[in-house]
Amino acid sequence: MSKFKKDGGRSMPGVNTSSLPDIVFMLLFFFMVATTSKENDPTVKVESPEGSRTMDLTPFKQRSEVDFMYLGQPRNPARASQFKMGYALSLDNVVQATPDGLYNTNTIGQWKKDKFEQKPARMTSPIELVITCVKADKTAPSGFIFDIRKELQEINALTIAYAVRDNGNI
Amino acid sequence: MSKREVQEINAGSMADIAFLLLIFFLVTTTMDKDQAYIRSIPKKIEVVNKPVEVEKRNILAIKANTQNQLMVRGEIFSDPDKISEFILKFYRTNEKSPGQYVDNDMPLYSVITVDQIQQNIDFIVSEIEAMEAAGSPSDMVTFKYNQLTEWEKKQRALKIYGKNQLPEIHFQANIRIEVMQATAYSIFAKIQTEIEEAIYQLRDEESMRLWNVSYGTLKRKEANENDKNKVKEEKDKLDLLEILYPARLIEVTPKI
Repeated sequence: MSKFKKDGGRSMPGVNTSSLPDIVFMLLFFFMVATTSKENDPTVKVESPEGSRTMDLTPFKQRSEVDFMYLGQPRNPARASQFKMGYALSLDNVVQATPDGLYNTNTIGQWKKDKFEQKPARMTSPIELVITCVKADKTAPSGFIFDIRKELQEINALTIAYAVRDNGNI
Repeated sequence: MSKREVQEINAGSMADIAFLLLIFFLVTTTMDKDQAYIRSIPKKIEVVNKPVEVEKRNILAIKANTQNQLMVRGEIFSDPDKISEFILKFYRTNEKSPGQYVDNDMPLYSVITVDQIQQNIDFIVSEIEAMEAAGSPSDMVTFKYNQLTEWEKKQRALKIYGKNQLPEIHFQANIRIEVMQATAYSIFAKIQTEIEEAIYQLRDEESMRLWNVSYGTLKRKEANENDKNKVKEEKDKLDLLEILYPARLIEVTPKI
């Protein structure tokens, strides 16, 4: 007891908080890195047109009932000339030629089928109801959308979604 | 000199500064929600029958060319925002005179009564029984079952509609999107937006009138619930609205 009493006159040293800013900075950097919008990730440039009264795909995403494909000009301009009209389709970040070159290989159909097989077991919807969401660039020719539709029709994946940006009531 | 230690710089507020920055980034960066229009693709058919003749008054064709100009029913539309008004006109013109012939170029409305729906259901049930007894091909039976589901849906819809007859737009009335291959996707999306706007407005007004609930609320409730049994009421209401204002879209595959 006497040992403690000896120090009684001095105040307790405060908790060292000098590392708190570091911790918070780490959090900050984490969020700065993690929240880059997914729009920028694909290998093709996609800027969606605006729309309203859209359907929010979040509940479908939670149930993994939606697959995304991106249609736009390749980020690398040197590659653009390889594709019909300069537009390419990106399936899981692999740039494909637009559907015209694919009628024989049927890449879209194969991709969709593979995706469907890899779905978690809790996803019970039939393939007809699993949404394929096309995120197309503003300037992309609509003909490609119909080419994609045709490919999906072949494998009986009958639900398609056209992505737009909804600035209104979300 | 003095025995006092050099005072440390107070870094306590550093954390606050970092927190501020953190919150700034949390607010400004958006994890984008995915918004889209969901459409269904018609099933592939092997045998193509001769297309059914559709009366002109039942078709609302929205066309767009390679120069991104719009045409609705043969008229050039310079302002794409006006398309939804035209679609509203398409649905609304003859809505108030169901079951009568009206001399204009908009689709007619018909009425169906409770008894008629019951008759149809009874008829289809007897047909299914006969087909199953005769061992008809399974797709025919499935087709009949689908028909039966449709009629039952109508029956439920009429029940919550609270009247003894249900007005219906002509079964062939449809909206057609005819774009060309080189039409920009933004125009295609704009047409979809306008259609969606019009349909939303029609259903929303009806929903407000009947139950004082907005159509958006009903739809959100239905979409966010995984257990479909919990949202039966909403589902029936949505079905009724869909029967009253069906969105029959035909997206025509461009030839050129």
